[in-house]
Amino acid sequence: MNQMPMTSENVTTMPTKNTKITARDVQVYYGDTHAIKDVDVDIEDRTVTAFIGPSGCGKSTFLRCLNRMNDTIDICRVEGAIKIDNEDIYDKKVDPVQLRAKVGMVFQKPNPFPKSIYDNIAYGPRIHGLAKSKADLDEIVEKSLRRGAIWDEVKDRLHAPGTGLSGGQQQRLCIARAVATEPEVLLMDEPCSALDPIATDQVEDLIDELRSQYSVVIVTHSMQQAARVSQKTAFFHLGNLVEYGETDQIFTNPKDPRTESYISGRIG
Amino acid sequence: MTDVTNTPVPSGPEKSRGSSLYALDKRTKRRNAAEARFKAYGIAAVCVGLAFLVILLVSIVRNGIPAFTQTFVELPIYLNEEKLDPDGNRDPAAMSKVSTFGYNPLIEDALVQLMADNGIETDMDGPTLRKMLSSSVPAQVRDYTLANPDQVGETVTFRVLASSRVDGYMKGRVQREDLERDKNLDAAHLDIVDQLVDAGAVERTFNWAFITGADASESRPEQAGIGVSMIGSFFMMIVVLVLALPIGVAASIYLEEFAAKNRFTDLIEVNISNLAAVPSIVFGILGLAVFIQFGGLPQSAPLVGGLVLTLMTLPTIIISTRASLKAVPPSIRDAALGVGASKTQAVFHHVLPLAMPGILTGTIIGLAQALGETAPLLLIGMVGYIATNYPEGIVDGFLAPNSAMPAQIYEWAKRADPAYYERAWGGIIVLLLFLMTMNIIAIILRRRFERRW
Amino acid sequence: MPVLWIVAIILALAVIGYFMGRYRAIASAGGDSRKLHSLPNYYGTSVAIFTTVFSLLVLIIWLIVQPLVIENRVSGTIPAEAIPEGSTLGLVMSDVRRVANGLDIAVAGGAMTEDYASSIRTEFTDVRDRLAGVGVALGSDVGSSTLRAAQLYRTMSATGALLMAIVVLAIALGGFLFALMRTHKDFRARNVVETSIRYLLIGAASIAILTTVGIILSLIFNTIEFFYRYPAWDFFFGTTWAPSFGGGSELGIIPLLWGTLYISFIALVVAVPIGLFAAVYLSEYATPRIRAFAKPLIEVLAGIPTIVYGLFALLTVGPLLLSVFGPNSVGWMGAASSVMTAGLVMGIMLIPFVSSLSDDIINAVPQAMRDGSLGLGATHSETVKQVVLPAALPGIVGAVLLAASRAIGETMIVVMGAGAAARLSLNPFEAMTTVTAKIVSQLTGDADFSSPEALVAFALGMTLFVITLGLNILALYIVRKYREQYE
Repeated sequence: MNQMPMTSENVTTMPTKNTKITARDVQVYYGDTHAIKDVDVDIEDRTVTAFIGPSGCGKSTFLRCLNRMNDTIDICRVEGAIKIDNEDIYDKKVDPVQLRAKVGMVFQKPNPFPKSIYDNIAYGPRIHGLAKSKADLDEIVEKSLRRGAIWDEVKDRLHAPGTGLSGGQQQRLCIARAVATEPEVLLMDEPCSALDPIATDQVEDLIDELRSQYSVVIVTHSMQQAARVSQKTAFFHLGNLVEYGETDQIFTNPKDPRTESYISGRIG
Repeated sequence: MTDVTNTPVPSGPEKSRGSSLYALDKRTKRRNAAEARFKAYGIAAVCVGLAFLVILLVSIVRNGIPAFTQTFVELPIYLNEEKLDPDGNRDPAAMSKVSTFGYNPLIEDALVQLMADNGIETDMDGPTLRKMLSSSVPAQVRDYTLANPDQVGETVTFRVLASSRVDGYMKGRVQREDLERDKNLDAAHLDIVDQLVDAGAVERTFNWAFITGADASESRPEQAGIGVSMIGSFFMMIVVLVLALPIGVAASIYLEEFAAKNRFTDLIEVNISNLAAVPSIVFGILGLAVFIQFGGLPQSAPLVGGLVLTLMTLPTIIISTRASLKAVPPSIRDAALGVGASKTQAVFHHVLPLAMPGILTGTIIGLAQALGETAPLLLIGMVGYIATNYPEGIVDGFLAPNSAMPAQIYEWAKRADPAYYERAWGGIIVLLLFLMTMNIIAIILRRRFERRW
Repeated sequence: MPVLWIVAIILALAVIGYFMGRYRAIASAGGDSRKLHSLPNYYGTSVAIFTTVFSLLVLIIWLIVQPLVIENRVSGTIPAEAIPEGSTLGLVMSDVRRVANGLDIAVAGGAMTEDYASSIRTEFTDVRDRLAGVGVALGSDVGSSTLRAAQLYRTMSATGALLMAIVVLAIALGGFLFALMRTHKDFRARNVVETSIRYLLIGAASIAILTTVGIILSLIFNTIEFFYRYPAWDFFFGTTWAPSFGGGSELGIIPLLWGTLYISFIALVVAVPIGLFAAVYLSEYATPRIRAFAKPLIEVLAGIPTIVYGLFALLTVGPLLLSVFGPNSVGWMGAASSVMTAGLVMGIMLIPFVSSLSDDIINAVPQAMRDGSLGLGATHSETVKQVVLPAALPGIVGAVLLAASRAIGETMIVVMGAGAAARLSLNPFEAMTTVTAKIVSQLTGDADFSSPEALVAFALGMTLFVITLGLNILALYIVRKYREQYE
């Protein structure tokens, strides 16, 4: 455990100007289970940050804290401070609805609504009132689909149901849907785990492009994927944030023996 | 709040990056209001549902409880020997020549005497006073006299039923002004009743006769009870239990354990799910046409009612039995087959016993449903039959015409005298108590034997 | 020989067979039951099965077929001129049966000898008088052909019964002997028994089909009968319902259908919003504790028998509505029975029906849908309104259709709360009547079952059955399609 202070030391260095999200001393409880313990982390803007770790290590739980999706689970309790742009997202004044417009989320399994492709994308802008007119909305839909790198595939069938697309297309549609609300942070919970390699490849390319405008946080099971798409990597183990740093450094020169065991395939 | 609210609501696609989370924009406020409204509708709907339940139960209890009490008059009657047994040899056969009508003068005399004893001044004569009593009283006195001939010549104190008007007055149902147009009773009678209550000769007590008694004719609501139709319901439930349980379980075992996936199985499945939704009145038509017209079974018989209700209950029992069979994990079957049991043995020795609590629970709930069902009974003649006699023996119980609890309630509700409405509500309390007991047993069974795999 | 005796003999034979089969099997294995193919009980049971099953089956079929055959033969002997003016062969045959039955009673009661009963002639004896003497009342004098036919009926029945006893017992004995002969240690008794059990199970499962067939046949035959006496066109398109048992009835179904649909509509207007909102609240918002408390309580409404609702409509809701809308206030309502009374109470009855079905369906919408919407920053109600409910819509439509079918087929509430007047009116505070209420009123009187006024009930039942069946099939289809979508 004596490595802990050292890594913590690393993260708790003064937030740089580029820092988007800061988490300090975050604890998460599911009923009596202590799922996340003392997590401190700074997530940068316009960067892809990967959360890796064995199953059940709490990486998804922590991700869901970042846009308060855990609020929907009755027994879940979050302590500590998570700030986005220096505003505590668990503050009483914060409406999770507004927060989630700012912090978009893409889920493990593609979950398009049983509506048309167009309505799937337009859903967010509509509820947040981002479009003044139909033309405006059309523009947002097209822009989002382009950013989701799926425009060319669906531009001729915008009014076909979103559920009719292939798995990879559905996931890119979900990413486009998340992008359409103009978020500042994009959370992705194992976005490729339900996809085949080709679709995974396309989604990974997309994530790389999204980096230019968003802070992307991605939870992944695959170390290769983390290495391919992320600039920063955080390694979670048993609810602790074990190590956080530049992706290259984590994969080539991990400081913590647990990280090393995981990278080399001994645990996980 | 601060300056943020003054800035125009961000609405273009170029939403200002970095807007504060601490400030709620107007749109979010509006959306949150809509959220609160929506939630309020939900709460309101739940509350309305619960309110209906409460109103229903309150009106049942408030209107039905009076049926369980009844007003009686303590009346000492002198059994006049000259009138009842002129020969003086106490021979019941000879005494039975005096009809119930012949007992009226004795009762009238007794009433006049009662007035005098309690110092009640009235200018009413005997026959007028007798209107305060149920018309069943002479028969009651006659039955007693014939059973106890040696009491003739004595004064015997009877507990006799007051008329339904007097009973209604005691329960607050009948007011003095209601009697203005009433040919049976005058307000003056009620004054007498008040004085008799003070004297202790009139009292309202628990009415066992309502629970155990038989139905009475239209003009004697004070005498009517639900006992005989309860017996009718009981015999119907026996039929349902004896037929629906084995048939339902056998059908479920076939469908769940043996049936191949083919058209015949599909046909059965479709039939079961449709029968579950066929209106109950249609089952009544079936009963009338098949069991009574074609099969020649007697009308109004609990057997026919039971058969019809069996067919109605079967889908319920089959559906719940299949669910409990399905809940038994396949590993149990595999284990039995693995030690060389045949498929039939595996099912009957292992799966069925494990599924039994669930099956019984479903059966009880099905029975409860059948017990409260009324519509099909209307068509097979169980309404309109006035159940005045207990069946003599078991065969009679199944085949002799009888009523059933819900049919009896309907019959009472149809009668013109409001005194019968009270009986109908009271009947509903009895019926609901039965249903509640059955459901509680089902819940206990489920809790007690519920198995988590 | 009475049927009861035949059954008793067969059962006795089966019991004997059981023990003999068992004994024989063990004996054939030299007393060592381990050498048997099956457990000894199976040998016994197989003998019992062979003894009972076929003989009882024949017995049942015989009991059903014999009256039909006799009826046919006897009615063939009645000359056409013996059927009085205005009567039918069916009516004459029912006379024949009654006379035959009367003679039976007379013989059983000792008022006539067997010979006398089969030889009396109307020419010499007043049969009606004689039968009245033993307590059998006949509506009209007995004609000679009727008496002759009745006597033939009796002879044939007697012969048939005797023949049946012989045949059935022979089959039982045959099965008994056959099974006993087969009993040997290598005989696969268990397989035989299990196959029989299998057929028994299939038989039980087929009762569902038989019930449907029974319903359809009893409706169809009587409906056809009705249409012989009353034109189908006038029934389906007539706008007046005025049955009169003296003849000259007008039996148009339109006003009844109108009342049915109007009441069902009001019931749905009450039940669907309340039920749906309650389901949404309980499945999406309520804490587990509130849910555990409120859901079963609302479902109590579904367990209350309809007679209770009927009484509630008749004695509580009706008078209440009358005091609000009656002659003493706005004067829209003339009597306590009305479309509104029945509709309102029926709506209350349907609330738990709609809410628990919708609850299931809303719960079947995957959590991923909700997460997707919430993750985009939608509020909970936006998620429900724009994602969950549209996704659940087909299922909810199915649930509403099922509720509608319930409402259309509901009897007690309308019988007690809606009134008896068939009326085509728009005022919901007027009394109207429904298909089900009229089925009850047409079949509970003392009407002759061959009059159109009674038979119309079957045509009404048929209409009701077809409508509810259609709605159910449609609803089940929609719900099933919807389930598949998420499985």
